[in-house]
Amino acid sequence: MTNREIQHLYWRAGYGLKPKELQALNSLSKEDLVNDLFLKSEPIVPLKKDLSFLKEYPQNRLKNNIELRRELTKRNREETMILNTIWLKRLETTPRILRERMTLFWANHFVCRDMATNYVLKYNTTLRTHALGNFKDFVKAISKEASMMRYLNLNQNRKNSPNENFARELLELFTLGEGNYSEKDIKECSRAFTGYSHLFNGDYNFIKNRHDAGKKRFFGKEGHFVGDDIIDIILEQKQCARYICEKIYRYFVNTDLNQNHIDKMVDKFYGNYNIDNLMRFVFTSDWFYNKENIGTKIKSPIDLIVGIQRVVPVYFTNNKELFKLQTLLDQFLFDQPNVAGWKGGKSWITTNSLMLRIKLPSMILEKESYSYQTKGGIRNMRIVSVKNKYQEKLKVYVDWKAYNKSVKKVSLDMLKETLILCEINKGTQRYINSFGRRSSKKNLVNLMSLPEYQMC
Amino acid sequence: MKRRNFIKNTALATSMAFVPNFLKGLESIMPSTVGHRNLVIIHLQGGNDGLNTIVPYNNDIYYKARPYIAIKKNKTIKLNDELAFHKSLAPLKHLYDAGNLSIINNVGYPNPSRSHFVSSDIWQTASDHQTILKSGWIGRYLDKNGKKPYNAIQINDDLSLALRGEKRNGIATKNAKQLYRSLQESDFNTILSYYDKNHLTDHNLGYLYQTMIDSKSSAKYLYENALDGKLSKNYPKNSSLSSQLKIVGQFINSRLDTSVYYTTLGGFDTHAAQINKHQNRLEIYAEAVDVFVKDLKRNNTFKDTLILTFSEFGRRVEQNFSNGTDHGAANNVFVIGKNLKTAGFYNDLASLNDLDDNGDLKYEIDFRSVYATILTKWMNVSTEGIISSNPKALDFI
Repeated sequence: MTNREIQHLYWRAGYGLKPKELQALNSLSKEDLVNDLFLKSEPIVPLKKDLSFLKEYPQNRLKNNIELRRELTKRNREETMILNTIWLKRLETTPRILRERMTLFWANHFVCRDMATNYVLKYNTTLRTHALGNFKDFVKAISKEASMMRYLNLNQNRKNSPNENFARELLELFTLGEGNYSEKDIKECSRAFTGYSHLFNGDYNFIKNRHDAGKKRFFGKEGHFVGDDIIDIILEQKQCARYICEKIYRYFVNTDLNQNHIDKMVDKFYGNYNIDNLMRFVFTSDWFYNKENIGTKIKSPIDLIVGIQRVVPVYFTNNKELFKLQTLLDQFLFDQPNVAGWKGGKSWITTNSLMLRIKLPSMILEKESYSYQTKGGIRNMRIVSVKNKYQEKLKVYVDWKAYNKSVKKVSLDMLKETLILCEINKGTQRYINSFGRRSSKKNLVNLMSLPEYQMC
Repeated sequence: MKRRNFIKNTALATSMAFVPNFLKGLESIMPSTVGHRNLVIIHLQGGNDGLNTIVPYNNDIYYKARPYIAIKKNKTIKLNDELAFHKSLAPLKHLYDAGNLSIINNVGYPNPSRSHFVSSDIWQTASDHQTILKSGWIGRYLDKNGKKPYNAIQINDDLSLALRGEKRNGIATKNAKQLYRSLQESDFNTILSYYDKNHLTDHNLGYLYQTMIDSKSSAKYLYENALDGKLSKNYPKNSSLSSQLKIVGQFINSRLDTSVYYTTLGGFDTHAAQINKHQNRLEIYAEAVDVFVKDLKRNNTFKDTLILTFSEFGRRVEQNFSNGTDHGAANNVFVIGKNLKTAGFYNDLASLNDLDDNGDLKYEIDFRSVYATILTKWMNVSTEGIISSNPKALDFI
């Protein structure tokens, strides 16, 4: 495999490699490289977050105390923000890169928003647990998560007058895609999911007398279906495998779908719904390394931040700055704009976000001032004004020692090959030629500030 | 010292003089054919409950279908014998009385999608449900009639599909000044001074370069032409719509060469406990629009402005168990402007006796005829290449 192909694999399955990591791998075969990725991702390690604050809010005291409930809401909000930084740190430092990449992918598939820290953590652990597992078990587990029930009103879905919110998104966004079911299917589906509920600790709890036990007709079948039966029937539809394969292709390979490749993926996935096998198939396919698939994806903000940090270790000393960056770049972990998730691709790019993205490497690595002043809470933060040029700087610690060690005897060409995957604009190449030959700090920042670095 | 002079006299001027050749080419094209009339679009995101917005307060079917969430007669503002405002729309009553508001009922399209995302795409691209186009209707308007990216502006961080054309895009910004100043501090200028335009492709990297170029020229234009003095202080705080409309007010009253402004207000997806939530959303909407119209009137620009409010779908006639409503179909659309031909109600509310198979309102007016009317009668352009279905124009302007 060429350096470029290896880096392509590592960017799509993870967050890229350092120059020396890349050099160390270039004698391995494709199969060995892919096996190694999966082997390293076998362990399932949940995010670690201290939840002892919840002891101050026992269920019996919350019940009749509105003040205490308000306090808990506020506390949960703060603690969930901390969970956000724990997740980011995980992405930066994990050796289980594929599992983490898949977890983030599924978090944007089974989109869910909640503020109760313990439920959010539990949900995130479910995503990580099934990330490379069986898709059928995955969907069933998701439908029984407290956060999901709260988010899509599943716990308010009762017999006689169902709430369709969860049923619709299950069919439209989680399994089949719009246009592949009827409105009648949605109504029958929501009947089957009546009675879903959860306990105070977040565990699933089925309440029989809220469940509509009558017969339902769903995709040509008739029976006294419950939620799990419905999921079984949905997954019998080949369209479900196709929908998931297309989504995976769009995210991991290319936003332009190649039906020939998708057909092969569907053949692999349909029936067994084994995610591990499907991903191995994608990463070992020849077409995954086709020219049109390398360096043609626009990095998400998280890709960009984590990608920089995996080349040069950066420690943010002020969590608020991490929140600010995520807000301004429009990707805040645990907080998608809506149930369809981040759109990705070109929609990451606007006038404002692109300027910040181009400037980000020098803000982080050269501690340059920046003009993004914000006001308001995290949820409705907005840019208000520009202060004196030198007033705002990120409070970060950059471990240049580690960087220098990692690029010792690495030429600028090798650094360029590591950082930039797409074809470089001719004029911009002339600009790079003026950098000299050293992989210095300044040249690193210069390379990372090119539009080409926005691609992976 | 006036700002323009200030710029000429400072270091900023040197950096602006250092414009690559291909950019100069862009900037010297002939004057814009875009007119001076403004269109402001407000998208109520999530599917606004039209029946609880314009309330059929004498309709038994309505009260029967919604035992817990129907708006009681004494909480409405009567408009005619059938229909009334939700009381939160009180700030808009003076517009209705003055003939500056037209309410078009039962707007939708055949075979409606009840997906937020698909239906929003349909509205934004002016497509039918069978083939959803890849470009937005405002984007195609720019393709045909625009000259600059800033001819259509979304006051936001992200650019809606509506403003993405086949060749041109509008721009998204929240703050013109910040845009310009941060541009001065970025590597944009250096990179663009080397960039080879012959190497431009339609692909993602080409898109990044194109966005840089558009940003640069738009930032300069907005910085020099959006006047601080036109930024009104009267807008209510803590509402995203009102802070967006405040910027639109500033831009319109500075008489920018921009024809379309796009804004959004979220939170209308009321599946559960909707009474208070919905009331709050409507309040925010009505207050923001009221102040906006007054801002325009003070600057004598209301006569040049048309405000279109839509939502991607209405909601189910019958309420659900959790005192909310599920996704529906046809809905009402508001048009606000000074010289409306048919003010008040453009048409009657569809029968609540004759719903579609899903229990939703049937559409009577295709939303694309609303667009066609605006394009031909307000923006004075042809619908050709913009609205493919060639719908009949209506009579509200």
